Amino acid sequence: MPLHERDIHYFIEVTVAYLNKITGNEIVLRDPTIEFQSLVFSAYTGLIHLKGDAEGFAYLTASQQFLQHLHAARHHHGRVSEEHSRDLMSDLTGTIVHNVQKRFGPSLKLSEPRVFSTVPDDPIEMPPAVFVQPLMWRKEHAYFVLGLASSETI
Amino acid sequence: MTGTEIYKRTAVYDREAGTIRLHAPQWKLLLAFDGQRSLAEVALSADVSFAEALPLTERFLTQEWIEEQPITLDQYLKRTGAPNVSALGSVVPPAVVLHEPRAETPAPAPASPLPPPLAPKVAAPPLPIPVIAPVTSRPLPRGPMRLSAVVDYITSLVGNTSLGQLLVYRVFLRVPSDLLQAEDIASVHLVNDTSLIRGEALQKAIANAVNEVAKRPLPDGVYASA
Repeated sequence: MPLHERDIHYFIEVTVAYLNKITGNEIVLRDPTIEFQSLVFSAYTGLIHLKGDAEGFAYLTASQQFLQHLHAARHHHGRVSEEHSRDLMSDLTGTIVHNVQKRFGPSLKLSEPRVFSTVPDDPIEMPPAVFVQPLMWRKEHAYFVLGLASSETI
Repeated sequence: MTGTEIYKRTAVYDREAGTIRLHAPQWKLLLAFDGQRSLAEVALSADVSFAEALPLTERFLTQEWIEEQPITLDQYLKRTGAPNVSALGSVVPPAVVLHEPRAETPAPAPASPLPPPLAPKVAAPPLPIPVIAPVTSRPLPRGPMRLSAVVDYITSLVGNTSLGQLLVYRVFLRVPSDLLQAEDIASVHLVNDTSLIRGEALQKAIANAVNEVAKRPLPDGVYASA
C-alpha cells in the first residue's frame, strides 16, 4: 500500500519545520517542479534511502551560502568550513529521519543519512520522476527532492 | 451571473499568488477557473455549491484574480453540444426542433385544478425536420492538452495545494518516460506550466494515469481549442 500524499508531505513538513526553527520562520517555499531527466544537486547533500511503505529516496541539498547562513543563525561566527557544512547537513537529515521514523515506525525503513558534496559518490538510480521542492532563505537556495519508485502508485 | 460565464485567472493573480491567503475550499475554486469551463462546471468540480461559488467568484473578480474569458462561436457551439455549423457549410440551416402537436392525456388528479392545456384546432402539416447527427457519433476535434490545466485539475481534486501537487507527482510517475522525452518534456512546473502536449500517445498516457491514480477522468477543459 503506497503512502498517502499526506504521509509523503510529512517529509517536507519536518524539513521545513526544522529549518524554520533555525531561521526564525524565514524559509520561503517556491513553486515545486517534477523532473523527469535529471537530479538537482547543490554544494552539500544529505540523502536517505526509503524502503517498506515507500520505496525510493529523499534528500536535501543546499548551497554553501545557505549553509553559511544557517551556521551563522546558530550563533556561530566565522566562515563555514567543509566539516561544518557536512555536520549541518548531517544534523538536518538526521532530524528528518528521526521525525519520520517516529511517525511511521517499522513499516518504513530509512537508511542512515549519507552526506556528500557536489555529486554523490555512488550513482543514484533515477526514478521515472522526482518531486523537487525549492526552499529559499535570504536569496539562497536549498532543495528538498523526493524520488519514489513507479511501483509506489500501484 | 448565470453560471454560464467562463473565467480565467489573470496576470494580477500570477503576481499576487504568493501572498494570497484563502481557505482551502476557496483555493480549490480559484484554481479551478481555467478559461475553459463555465462557472457552474467549475463550482461542481471544486465541490462548491453554486450559491457558495457566487460570492467567492465576485470576490475574485473584485480582486482582479480572475476575469471573464469571451469565447468564439465555435467554442460556444461545442459547449452547447450543437455541431460546428461552419464546418458543415452554410447550406445547412441552424438546428430547429419541431414538435408535432400531440393529444394531451389527462393528468392523474392534480392537487390544484388547472385549466386544461389548449389543444390545437388544426394539426400543422408535417414539416421536413433537419437531420442532425448526434453529437456522440462524431468526437469533437480537440486541440493540444494544456499541462497547466491538467496540473490544476488534479490539484483541485485534493483541496490542499501541497497535497494536490504530490498527487500530480504520483500521476506522472505512471507516465512512460519515453513518451515524455519524445515531446521534450523534461519537467512539469506545478504552477503555471506553459507546455502544450500535442502527441496523442502522451495525451492518452496522461489521461490514463489520472484515471488510474486520481480515479477521475480528465475533463475536456484541459484541451485547448482545436
